[in-house]
Amino acid sequence: MNTLSLPRIAYGVLVALLLVFLLAPVLLVFPISFSADNFIAWPPSGWSPRWYVALARESELLLAFRNSVVLGLVVTVLSLAIALPAAVMLVRKEFPGRDILFSVFTAPLLLPSIVLGLAILIVFVGRGLVGSWFGMVLAHLTLTLPYALRVLATGLKTLPPAVEDAAGTLGARPFTVFRRVTLPLMAPALIAAGALSFLVSFDEVVISLFIVGPQLKVLPVSLYHYVESRTDPLVASASAVLILVTLLLVIVVERAVGLRKAVGGGG
Amino acid sequence: MSAALLTRPRADWRGGTVLMALLAPILLVNVLTFLAPVINLAMLSFRGSGPGGSIQEGLTTATWTSLLTDSFYWEILLGTVWTSLLITFLTLLCSYPVALWVSRLGARWRNLMMVVCISPLLVSAVVRTYGWMILLGDQGFVPGVIRAMGMTPPRLLFNETGVIIGLTEILMPYMILSLLAGFGKLDRTLEDAAGTLGARPFTVFRRIVLPLSLPGLLLGCLLTFVLAVSSFITPKLLGGGRVVLLATEIYDQAIVTLNWPLASALSILVLVVFGAALAVYGQLSKLVD
Amino acid sequence: MAIARAPHAAGEAPRDAAPAAGLNSVHLTLEALEKRYGNLPPSVSALSLQLRQGELLGLLGPSGCGKTTTLRMISGLVPVTAGRILVAGRDVTALPPYRRDMGVVFQAYALFPHMTVAENVAFGLEMRKVSRTEAKERVMRALGMVRLEALADRKPRELSGGQQQRVALARALVIEPSILLLDEPLSNLDAKLRDEMRNEIRDIQQRLGITAVFVTHDQVEAMAICDRIGVMRAGRLEQIATPLEMYERPTTPFVADFVGRMNHLRGTRLEGGGVRVGEAVLATAGTSPAGEALLLMVRPHRIQMTPAATAQPEAAGRNVQPGTVRRVTFVGDALHYEVAMGAETMLVESSTVSGPQSFAVGDAVFLAWSPDDTLTFPAGTEA
Ligand SMILES: Nc1ncnc2c1ncn2[C@@H]1O[C@H](COP(=O)(O)OP(=O)(O)OP(=O)(O)O)[C@@H](O)[C@H]1O
Ligand SMILES: [Mg+2]
Repeated sequence: MNTLSLPRIAYGVLVALLLVFLLAPVLLVFPISFSADNFIAWPPSGWSPRWYVALARESELLLAFRNSVVLGLVVTVLSLAIALPAAVMLVRKEFPGRDILFSVFTAPLLLPSIVLGLAILIVFVGRGLVGSWFGMVLAHLTLTLPYALRVLATGLKTLPPAVEDAAGTLGARPFTVFRRVTLPLMAPALIAAGALSFLVSFDEVVISLFIVGPQLKVLPVSLYHYVESRTDPLVASASAVLILVTLLLVIVVERAVGLRKAVGGGG
Repeated sequence: MSAALLTRPRADWRGGTVLMALLAPILLVNVLTFLAPVINLAMLSFRGSGPGGSIQEGLTTATWTSLLTDSFYWEILLGTVWTSLLITFLTLLCSYPVALWVSRLGARWRNLMMVVCISPLLVSAVVRTYGWMILLGDQGFVPGVIRAMGMTPPRLLFNETGVIIGLTEILMPYMILSLLAGFGKLDRTLEDAAGTLGARPFTVFRRIVLPLSLPGLLLGCLLTFVLAVSSFITPKLLGGGRVVLLATEIYDQAIVTLNWPLASALSILVLVVFGAALAVYGQLSKLVD
Repeated sequence: MAIARAPHAAGEAPRDAAPAAGLNSVHLTLEALEKRYGNLPPSVSALSLQLRQGELLGLLGPSGCGKTTTLRMISGLVPVTAGRILVAGRDVTALPPYRRDMGVVFQAYALFPHMTVAENVAFGLEMRKVSRTEAKERVMRALGMVRLEALADRKPRELSGGQQQRVALARALVIEPSILLLDEPLSNLDAKLRDEMRNEIRDIQQRLGITAVFVTHDQVEAMAICDRIGVMRAGRLEQIATPLEMYERPTTPFVADFVGRMNHLRGTRLEGGGVRVGEAVLATAGTSPAGEALLLMVRPHRIQMTPAATAQPEAAGRNVQPGTVRRVTFVGDALHYEVAMGAETMLVESSTVSGPQSFAVGDAVFLAWSPDDTLTFPAGTEA
């Protein structure tokens, strides 16, 4: 089977083409971002960093970027703070309706964001929450909490058996057990849940689209509106920056989680 | 130790109040921005809409009646389902060879290629859609290549073709992931065993590989279909307003026309399509088992 | 190695000490303990026993019979469904584990993966607010005890299964608990280390006067070091007795089978007091109503085997039966013979040192044993 037969070569070429198809839109952003043209054209008539310069002057996009980062950080911290105790309760404590609660808490994942966005918009409008930080954080939490809860619950369930019991018999009170044993062993899950929450919030378009206001703009929405109205390579340079930032975040997380594993963080 | 200490363990993990206190925040968020809004949405579809986005008092089935009797909405519904099915099929077609190839790699390369295949998921839908505008636009990459071959390129952007191409690519990672999960159960030795029994490669594929990968395939199709039905950003941008699907219509009714009862009813319709897809999936999985 | 112990708990519990002596007062009492998980049948029920200060109880029983569950109830890791646990006369049933001062060695070790060996062992001392210098010293002493000083700075996953088990042991011992609960603490060690460690555990436990429960699957191990042994079956305590008593006078066929090999013979009581087994009539120590169906049990090494060629051995009230050797198995310090005796197959064990006589397959032999070595149970009480 390992000889280079014609069907094998054809299969290899097919896979390569499909991979190119899959990655092309992300990769093509980089060359276009260095286009010297006023509009999107391939091949560009010349190369220049002018769109990066333009991006640095685009104060509205920069502000939206800043807002998105702040929003992502706030949402991440809150997601972990809210999901961790909930995960501990839902995994560790047996009570009637536990499974139903877990399903309800992760259900927002199943709802199309266009429906969820509309639903949230309707209840937010009358209460002045549209375009407010509070409303935006709340709406994003609806999306990030199910992810965080799932990752943390899995992390808790896969903790090495009986270590918490062992700490208890050695004289550690429940909170000490949590702080000294559970939490350190949960570090990889916490990092993963945090990174996921940040990325989900940072990338969310549809729900944000419904509830952004003139006072509060976030990057994906601003980019969407920009793309909708103009097709110049500015968005390419913005996209390139975003992709690099995401890549950086993923590498940092991988390092952190990998590092924890290396020093025996379990997981 | 005093007698008081001997009675009951203090309210630690066992306390009901602690339980409530720790679950309260997530419950609050869930109720405020999920349960209540969704119930509200369902109820809103039974209200009438007045001029300027106002909502009339009293319950009525008028919105549903006009929705279900208007052939325009039936066309949107059927068009959405049809387009989504087509996209699902194309996504499967493009993903299967890749997933099969990745599943055959050695552990190291397999993990790396898996990351590569799902990495587009980390990039915002807006950015990826923008990438497709670069590729498909009149001055873009693909028409350029076609022109270079001496042909006249068809119009690829701001029509249904663009939407289908873009969504197919955007949904591929989900399909690849589901297929790979299904392939996990596929034992290479089974194939080799079939091979030694005299089966030719295509027979091995049809009799062994395909049946064993069906559960993952079905799950991938369900996921892709559901995501295609609810996709909004890509149809909006690549369709250039000319491609009307359920999701874009919901947005337009909600934001442009300000007819919230109708937007709500359309949302419920999307959920009905979801339910139907889930039911079909359930039936098919039973057949596969 | 010397682990210092609070003065009040000094004193050794000799192996067969008479109960009720002042020093040997009751320390741990279980009263009608019961544990149910959900609506399942109880995992443990009606479990009552009393342990003297410094006593070592071995808990034996087939897998799933409730040994671990019993330890978890004693240590407070699972709430009891019914019953009481008393330590030194004090009801601790409702106390959480962290207030019970019991050392536990878990079946799955349960070492903290993010801490080094030394940190693992020091954890309990830290919780007891022992000063750093003292803790360090005691940790090293405990590690010395389990011969692991050299590995103090390793992480648990860099240790073998047996090494991990010994760390778990050191971690439980270093806090000098008043009660020590060991859940198969030696299951992963090789035969030699196992013997060493079990004697070490016995030593420490006696020196410090710790009351201990030792769960094991190995009846030899239990016999070797325990003051008393309890045999559990399907959640119930079948019998609790000293090793000798348990071996010589098991109260049920299940226990008899569990603590060593047994020959099973089925028969019926005759008018005159004998028991008919197939063609033969055997004498037993006890009596029972005539006509009753009985199960007779004889330990393989209590059967004396002589060549049939020599004269029939002196009867003197003993059971003497002819037989033919069917199989010989050499097991190191003993020989196992399978001997056809009428329709039955008897297992006979003879020590390779004491018995000059050895037999070959096909040899005609006489089997002889005393009625006192014949255990009699009503038929139908076995498994
Ligand atoms: N958390 C639980 N939920 C339900 N049933 C349980 C639970 N823990 C134990 N059991 C049941 O209780 C019974 C006793 O289990 P236990 O662990 O005490 O057995 P064991 O004697 O320690 O067995 P082994 O020798 O295999 O360790 C078993 O039938 C087991 O299935
Ligand atoms: Mg056990």
